[in-house]
Amino acid sequence: MNNSTLHARDLVIGYKSALTPALSFSVGPGEILVVVGESGCGKSTLLSTLAGVIPPLSGEILLGKTNLGGVPIHKRSIGLVFQDPLLFPHLSLIDNIGYSLRASGASKKSARLRATELLEWVGLSEIAGQKTWQLSGGQAGRVALARAIAAKPAVLLLDEPYSALDSATRLRLLADVKSLVTREGIPTIHVTHDHSEADLLATRTLTW
Amino acid sequence: MFTFLIYPLTKLAVTAWSAETLSELTSSTLWQVTLRAGGQALLSVGLSLLIGIPIARVLFTYRFLGRGFILALVTVPFVLPTVVVALGFRALFGDAIPNGLILVVLAHAYINIAVVVRLVGAQWSTLDPRMEVTAATLGANPFRVFTSITLPALRNSIVLAACVVFIFSFSSLGIVVVLGDGSSTRTLEQVLLRSTSVLLDFPAALAAAILQLIVVSLVFFISARISRNEPRARVVLERERIGGRKTMFIVAVTCLVATVLVVSPIASILWSSVSSSGGVTLQWWSDLASTQNTRIGSPIAALSRSIGLALTTGVIAAILGGAIAIAVMSKKGFVVTLALIPLGVSAVTLGLGILLAFSRGSFDLRGTGTLIPITHALIAVPIVVAVATPSLRNVDPRRYFLALSLGAAPLRAWWTAFGTVFSGVMLAAGGLAAAVSLGEFGAATLLSRTDSPTVPVQIARLLSKPGESAFATAAVLSVILIIITMSLLLIVDRIESRKVIT
Repeated sequence: MNNSTLHARDLVIGYKSALTPALSFSVGPGEILVVVGESGCGKSTLLSTLAGVIPPLSGEILLGKTNLGGVPIHKRSIGLVFQDPLLFPHLSLIDNIGYSLRASGASKKSARLRATELLEWVGLSEIAGQKTWQLSGGQAGRVALARAIAAKPAVLLLDEPYSALDSATRLRLLADVKSLVTREGIPTIHVTHDHSEADLLATRTLTW
Repeated sequence: MFTFLIYPLTKLAVTAWSAETLSELTSSTLWQVTLRAGGQALLSVGLSLLIGIPIARVLFTYRFLGRGFILALVTVPFVLPTVVVALGFRALFGDAIPNGLILVVLAHAYINIAVVVRLVGAQWSTLDPRMEVTAATLGANPFRVFTSITLPALRNSIVLAACVVFIFSFSSLGIVVVLGDGSSTRTLEQVLLRSTSVLLDFPAALAAAILQLIVVSLVFFISARISRNEPRARVVLERERIGGRKTMFIVAVTCLVATVLVVSPIASILWSSVSSSGGVTLQWWSDLASTQNTRIGSPIAALSRSIGLALTTGVIAAILGGAIAIAVMSKKGFVVTLALIPLGVSAVTLGLGILLAFSRGSFDLRGTGTLIPITHALIAVPIVVAVATPSLRNVDPRRYFLALSLGAAPLRAWWTAFGTVFSGVMLAAGGLAAAVSLGEFGAATLLSRTDSPTVPVQIARLLSKPGESAFATAAVLSVILIIITMSLLLIVDRIESRKVIT
């Protein structure tokens, strides 16, 4: 998918009652919008809504000119990284990274080729043969990031990734994210409760 | 365990082993039965998984009012006596399904829904739903998410459930006797029973028992390998609330289908017990005490006999349960392994071994009325082990030393530390074994005298007779059996929740 701007227009999110006021924002190619707020304020719910896991209470989400209302999750072209890496334990590292390419119909060979490139990019090519549960937290986080961007998603959503890691590893990984987003030009939304992450990453910040 | 398990099985092997056994083992008839029973068991596994997996999904991943009730309801068929289930299917379908194989497979799936729902559901409740969301955001459609993420994550529990259902269906007796057609649905257990009680052909019986043991052991081996690979200490996640009309609709439809599936055969039995060609009647109930026209003995006598046997079984199993509890608490693993042997040996084989071992000389127990209770207690022991072991392993041994340090004498300290759990295990073992005894069919058929059958044996005999009266009397007996069994299990459940779970 070509890189387009993600727009939220008067977006109200929540399960039964509204968690936020009406939100309007745009995130262009290569930009990182950092959403900062305390636990329970609806940051993760915002990402779940943008990804299509739960419907908005009102408002619109557009990718370029396409309204994403009613578009199922698997057709939204969104890369999502949670706080936990959530690697698929029954798949190899290469197959984890190549999963989105296989799901979109790519051949096993081309999926593996792209996955190998990405594994090299995240600096883990020497441990390609390891099982997912043998990885350290930092390594698993890198694989999760590589998996999310393998099929070149139109939007990248990061839900407090790496927050469980030690500070040095987290800062290194966030620097990786920044260089990746800039290089690939992917509109990115990053949620966190840590203001220092906002200072490090944000093109713009959003709070409510 | 040695006297009533190892000795009888050894005695059976020594008595029946001959050159004929070897030739029986290579007979094409026996292998045909094995292959057909294997095919039938595979079909039963397939249908059980097909029905059980969606129900497991709904019951173990969503939170809604009535979830506990539906879960208890789908467990009911598993605890019903097999001949009662068979009668339910006869009452429900009549001659509408003339194919014995289809009826047998349907009945096996009905009984085993609980196995699939409980085993697969338990693993499903540990599966992080964000894993599926992640796969969907990576472009996988719902079908691909299910096949590439959910199914592999549930693989272990699905294979385990499949193994349990396979063993149950492969060695089935009550269902195939009542619903089967006698050829395509024959099992080795049926061959075993016929060889011992009709043909008196012990080498053929031993050959069938050996073949059955090989197949069951093979399946056990597979399931043991898989459970050894199972990662431990997984966290049970909070169930999702139902969000959206589509999900609500799926949950409602699944619960409705599950209820209809479970209740239909039971309702058909109840209806058969209060209806005749002339309409609704209580005649079959009021005639129960005087019914002799079926020429197979008094139903009331069978009922009191079954209840008496169940009580004796309960006492024997409580003693065995207590011994196992001590063994588990003292980390004597081999006793637990020994207690699991009856799982692999069929009820008829066990009954035959007991009959051969204790029907001669100074060991003649035939006149004591204990042969059936001993066999039933042994059959129930693996269930007791499965129920009690987790609670027993959770008992903290430091409680014993704490009681000693507070001045209690050793026996008192032991009772203070372990007494509640120990007595709970004994009571639960007794109750469970009594419930098993009430519904057990194979060993009872072999060990009960023709003029003094147990209720399940009498139900099967009644079903082989023509006429409305015989069928209705069987239905009345089944309703009574269902009520007694369910009451017993409810009592056991209460005991467990109060005492065993620490």
